[in-house]
Amino acid sequence: MHRYILKRIAFLIPTILGVTFIIYAVLNITPSSPGQAILGPSASPAAIEEFNHQVGYDQPFLTKYFNYVKNMVTKADFGISYFTKQSVFNEVWPRFMVTIKLSLSGVALAALIGVPLGILAAVKQYSLLDTIPSVLSFFIAAIPSFVLGMVLLLVFAQQLKILPSYGLDTWKHYIMPILAIAIPPAAQNMRFTKSSMLEAIRQDYVRTARAKGAPERTVIWKHALRNALMPVVTQIGMSLGLLICGSVVIEKMFTLPGIGSLIIDRINFKDEPIIIAGVILISICFTVVMLLVDIIYAFIDPRIKAKYSNAKG
Amino acid sequence: MKKRITAFLLTAVMLLGALAGCGGPANNSGDGSGDGGNGGDNTSRSLKIRKVNSLASTDYDVVTYTEDMSILSDNVFQGLYGMDEAGGGYCKLLAKDVAISEDGITYTITLVDATFQNGDAVKASDVKFSYDRAMATERFNYVTDMIDSVEVQDDKTVVFTLKYPYSAIDHTFFSIKITSEREITEAGASYGTTAHTAATGPYAISKYDPAGGLTLTAYDGYWGGAPAIKTVEYVLITEDSAAVIAYENGEIDFMNNAPTSDWEALVSASGDNNAVLKGNSIRTLYINYQSTTNNSILANDLVRQAICYAVDKNAINTVATSGLGTTSDEYILSDYVATAPEAKDFETYSYNPEKAKELLLQAGYTEADLAAGVSVGTLTTYGPATGEKAKAAQVVQANLKAVGLLCEIDVADSNINVPKLKAHDFDLGIYGDSGNYDFNNIRQQVLVDGGYCIVDLTGNPGELDYSKVESLLADGIAETDIAARKAIYTELWSMVADTATMHPYMNMPVAVVWSSALNPGDGAQSPTYYHLNTFSWK
Repeated sequence: MHRYILKRIAFLIPTILGVTFIIYAVLNITPSSPGQAILGPSASPAAIEEFNHQVGYDQPFLTKYFNYVKNMVTKADFGISYFTKQSVFNEVWPRFMVTIKLSLSGVALAALIGVPLGILAAVKQYSLLDTIPSVLSFFIAAIPSFVLGMVLLLVFAQQLKILPSYGLDTWKHYIMPILAIAIPPAAQNMRFTKSSMLEAIRQDYVRTARAKGAPERTVIWKHALRNALMPVVTQIGMSLGLLICGSVVIEKMFTLPGIGSLIIDRINFKDEPIIIAGVILISICFTVVMLLVDIIYAFIDPRIKAKYSNAKG
Repeated sequence: MKKRITAFLLTAVMLLGALAGCGGPANNSGDGSGDGGNGGDNTSRSLKIRKVNSLASTDYDVVTYTEDMSILSDNVFQGLYGMDEAGGGYCKLLAKDVAISEDGITYTITLVDATFQNGDAVKASDVKFSYDRAMATERFNYVTDMIDSVEVQDDKTVVFTLKYPYSAIDHTFFSIKITSEREITEAGASYGTTAHTAATGPYAISKYDPAGGLTLTAYDGYWGGAPAIKTVEYVLITEDSAAVIAYENGEIDFMNNAPTSDWEALVSASGDNNAVLKGNSIRTLYINYQSTTNNSILANDLVRQAICYAVDKNAINTVATSGLGTTSDEYILSDYVATAPEAKDFETYSYNPEKAKELLLQAGYTEADLAAGVSVGTLTTYGPATGEKAKAAQVVQANLKAVGLLCEIDVADSNINVPKLKAHDFDLGIYGDSGNYDFNNIRQQVLVDGGYCIVDLTGNPGELDYSKVESLLADGIAETDIAARKAIYTELWSMVADTATMHPYMNMPVAVVWSSALNPGDGAQSPTYYHLNTFSWK
């Protein structure tokens, strides 16, 4: 198991190198320069040239790329932002944490809502406890987060004026963004859990447990749920990864200082060091989340556990 | 069992991380509790203003965007001259007295008794330091290249020696801000990356976060008197729709350059607390007479004139700014600039599609040609695909089609299309220019040196004599009498307008809204450079 984890962590290195190279190449293919973007349309060509030289943008592509990778690997130095002249790490890290907090909160809420409702719907199939959540989830799962966010803003900020519309200063500020992030995946979680549970409930081992006189609670929680959770865990992990990568829309809508909005803002200024550092952090995070999902999966799934035990033996 | 506990712990870590996200400092910036106009004691209330883009630096010499300059200029950083748009333009600020030598070469300036926000007295050596610093930067060349030297006479007197008489020096005295030599030297490379007290204005930057905006705190020792509002928070809200909701929710007290696309909603929410100002920002249609498209069709004077007559400025204004802008024939507005030619004094191209067709027939095109459509190439502009310039381009395209001319539209990010325009690599182009407070700034658009101009007039389009343009610019800058300068510039612009290569069409509006609890001072009259120390709570 340890070897498996180490192998996955080692896989991060080519991933990061590949990501940095692709981003660097794409940014260098696109026309314009940070000097043009940052100094604005009225800047003279001489001023643009001076700026590009000062920040080192006028160096050859491969020289820039290798210097960047070298500094990143040997000094953990992500460079200086072309736009603000501040340390890239100091700019990116706090905003990355904002995105992580929001995404984790959203995923946790989505799991807390979706999984119990899915279990309930499966256990009480064809009752109102199944029909109502199932129909609702069918519609909610189809609503994109940004539409939901806009509706929340219009209702709770513009009309009722009970929640703030931007920023992250108090707990009130978190309510709408987290709901916008959490509700669509909660509906998906509910549907996944329900179908997975229904499948598990019909398995022979559940029937056997019931025949042996095990209490219904034990049958559901110990025998059925444990097996039903495997695809649900994968779904939750995937949604966390997708939320981290796709949080930009919600961040822009609620004016949240997250990593997605930072990258988008700095693309406008061709701020290469910030863009690359942001993408690297997201890549690492996505890979780590997928690794965690695999580890949890291995613990939940007795077959995987058995496989590792056999390998050990 | 051990593995089960590990699985549980991993899940718990994820959940704890999620719950941690719900924490945060307790201070409330905008609790959505009202319209921002509630009564009660406002003395300690922060003024909240929307900011569209991140501030790149707290060093004024580094910022380049109009929004940043309008915040920092005069409010935080002050020059020898300030800007009073509502009251006629440049005004003395840190300069108490200005004595000009008879030959117009030497300016002896006595400073007011001011202090920096760090408490140090402003000295002539700080002025010299600030000018030397700016003159070392390529970006400031256009406002400093006429200065030969800046010398300290005594603690309160500084002497500027120019290379040649330069009557538009006010713009330089406004553009270069005076900063503390001591503080900037001590800060070294970190200056501009953090809050500081190195300026002389009524507000100091007390908190700076590129991600979240900036906070200004009143400098009670300000030489012009302590400001009424003690804290001003600039809140970064990049999306227009989010800013409108924040204003409607009472979380924003003042918005300069409010989105005109949502103007009806803002008017409805603001009651009487709004204004639409005439901004000092012009939009111009450029016609590149050097283009080789369609057998150099744009080299024909009659075709260029026809294009100018075909453009319906009112339609552009309606489509691009919901009618809030002002159609214009003046490249630099006579409303703001005393030396600028007035439209009544030079020939203009008023919308006249019949005349446009007539000119095209005179140019040798037949009715059949015009019915089939004659290509004039591509109209290049920049900004968002749904922005005002793109909308204007669509109207121009339709206007041209109505008289028998066809054009494609190329809209892209300014980083991509502005270099094309400046390289004269276009057929028709739409470009915006702003912040011109002296007609001498037209040199950037008519002189090839410097790389600013969109159309290269050195090829003498139409009847133009380019050497005359250069000589009139030199005469204008050497002349100190305003009426005489205006006459010179009127002659100059008449010559340029006759070439039908630069066709100003619209002056951009500046929409302003504020909270009912706020007295916005000159913020309700000044489109760009408002002064926070004129603001107060009711």
